[in-house]
Amino acid sequence: MSSSRVDLKVVLLGKEYGGKTSLVERYLHDRFNADLPYQNTIGAAYGARRVKVGEHTVTMGIWDTAGSERYEAMSRIYYRGAKAAIVCYDLTDSSSFDRAKFWVNELRQHEEKCKIYLCGTKQDLVDGDLKKHRSVDYYNTTDFADEINARVFETSSKTGNNVRELFYKVAEDFCNDPTNFQKQDDSTLHIYDEPQGKSCMC
Amino acid sequence: MSAAYNEYLVPGKRGFHIDESALMCKNGCDFYGNPVWQGYCSKCWRDHSQKAKQAQQLQHHHQVSPVQPGVSGSPHAFAKFEEKKRQQVDKRSKSMRSIFKKAQGSIKADQASHPTAHWNQQKQPSFESQQVKRDFDDFLKSLRKPAAADVFKQIHAFVEKVQQSEDMPIEDLSEMVQDFYQSMAERLQTHTAFKGFSEEQAEQLLGFIEKYLTTRLYKLLFCPLTTDDEEKDLRVQNRIRSLNWITTTQLDAEVDDRDPVIREKIDQAITDIIKMDSKRAPQDKLACTVRCSKQIFEILKASRGQPASADEFLPALIYIVLKANPPLLHSNMSYVMRFGDPSKLMKGEAGYYFTNLCCAVSFIENINAESLSLTQEEFGRYMSGEAVPPGGYGSNGSTCEGLRLMYQNLNALAELCKRQETLMENTLTLQQEMRGFKEAMLQEIDGVIARTPCTIRERVKANIDEEDSEVDNLPPPLLPTPASV
Repeated sequence: MSSSRVDLKVVLLGKEYGGKTSLVERYLHDRFNADLPYQNTIGAAYGARRVKVGEHTVTMGIWDTAGSERYEAMSRIYYRGAKAAIVCYDLTDSSSFDRAKFWVNELRQHEEKCKIYLCGTKQDLVDGDLKKHRSVDYYNTTDFADEINARVFETSSKTGNNVRELFYKVAEDFCNDPTNFQKQDDSTLHIYDEPQGKSCMC
Repeated sequence: MSAAYNEYLVPGKRGFHIDESALMCKNGCDFYGNPVWQGYCSKCWRDHSQKAKQAQQLQHHHQVSPVQPGVSGSPHAFAKFEEKKRQQVDKRSKSMRSIFKKAQGSIKADQASHPTAHWNQQKQPSFESQQVKRDFDDFLKSLRKPAAADVFKQIHAFVEKVQQSEDMPIEDLSEMVQDFYQSMAERLQTHTAFKGFSEEQAEQLLGFIEKYLTTRLYKLLFCPLTTDDEEKDLRVQNRIRSLNWITTTQLDAEVDDRDPVIREKIDQAITDIIKMDSKRAPQDKLACTVRCSKQIFEILKASRGQPASADEFLPALIYIVLKANPPLLHSNMSYVMRFGDPSKLMKGEAGYYFTNLCCAVSFIENINAESLSLTQEEFGRYMSGEAVPPGGYGSNGSTCEGLRLMYQNLNALAELCKRQETLMENTLTLQQEMRGFKEAMLQEIDGVIARTPCTIRERVKANIDEEDSEVDNLPPPLLPTPASV
């Protein structure tokens, strides 16, 4: 995407190899490399895509983040100013859902305005006959989602199931929030009032 | 007053007698000395203090040198730098500045830590400014007249305004500049002079405005004396230096730093990140970060045999920053945050990589045994330089370097051999071609000669004096007849 103007920052959070990268890859390029289950094929961690919602067209900038616990302390730097966060967890790995809860708490504490979307990944691995592989109960996740006022999407980057719907929902929610568009009509630039002098170095 | 008496009078201070020799430079160079410079003139004082400093440094060096290699010179350099900074702030006089510049030039390369780079830029202030001015002027010429005139007017008024508020805290300056960006962005949309501007054009213009402003005002805006940016730069720099034993395995960075091809890419990434300091406009600094990041993706791809994602990228970036130890890193990052386009910083691709860089630096500042999966004891030993981790950059770095060079040279030689062969081949073909050409030419010439034999006709000599039959046909010449008057 060549457009340098980005309206909406979407940050992806979740455990390492939880399927974040594949999700972006599927959404941006509509492909999935089955030989490399959790690696993407272009080698980039940032992507942008234009989405048309009704009369608006918004450009989403999608930020992938490192999921290792080692970098947990710095995650705040990433989601600063994000309008939406997609918190990923692996449907076959219950520990990844615990980590997802951690991210949600973090977000609630530090970035209140950021909308949260829970995204179960690798849905194809727990589909149909493979139900026994499922480690994260669907109703558990929806209960949790209700608690935090979020939506749940169970996706498969392999089949593409629900991926487009998830990102479209993100864009749609953004467009339906009138506060986002007042700013848009004012100018092409968003100037944030918050002081950003040393925020990353402290 | 006699002339002789006059000589003993201090100018302006009547009645205070002083021998003129006491006023002259102690060095006897015919210039006046000054008590502030211990009785030397400014020039001799400079030489004198420089020598003294060097002597002191040499002595100091001998004393500290046995300490661990990683951290040696740095506390000393820091103290010196501190002192310099203090004096700089106190005096702010041109002459003192020039003394520092002179003195710094003589300090050995490893001692002249990064502040030098900064002062040097003050020495030749306007090359970049001139360059950007030319570019900006060219760009303005491509615009419609009223638009260009308006931008020109706005921007110059603003530059002047900033120059007058030199002593403002940097946060206020940052706010001022950001407000200006915003007001210009609004102006582009509302003012009649800019009617019909496309979005791209407006964006381009705003980019140019940022570039022009920041380049012109770089000295004021970058690493200002009113902040502790320089101190932090040094802290980061020393921190990175003391962590130079960290290997790719400890970071879980999947970077194969032994492969010569990858090694080259690593060097390229390091160069890119170091280049950040040499650029003036935030957008150019960001571009360096992006280039470095893309290079890192290349490195990861080559090392792993498959493309990488954010999970692999961050450790690799940390590794590159540790190996590069980019000059004035903190200052550069603060500068970009203060004066860059916030919308790009917050959301765009450059912002993404820049955020990763912030993360990497933050990680480096807080690195501990746990974050490297080491025991406290191991970490302490590595930090103090007592031990070197196996397979580390430090332990086999030199052999690696030598081998790398050898392989590089071998490759170069092989390449040369191949080229030599092709050259020989080409020469032979050329020779043959030339021979063929010669023969063909000769044949052709022979053919032409055969087809059109050259016969030279005898030349007929003409003798105008010779009697000719035609002469007889001519009428007799006219005879002069006397005219009757």
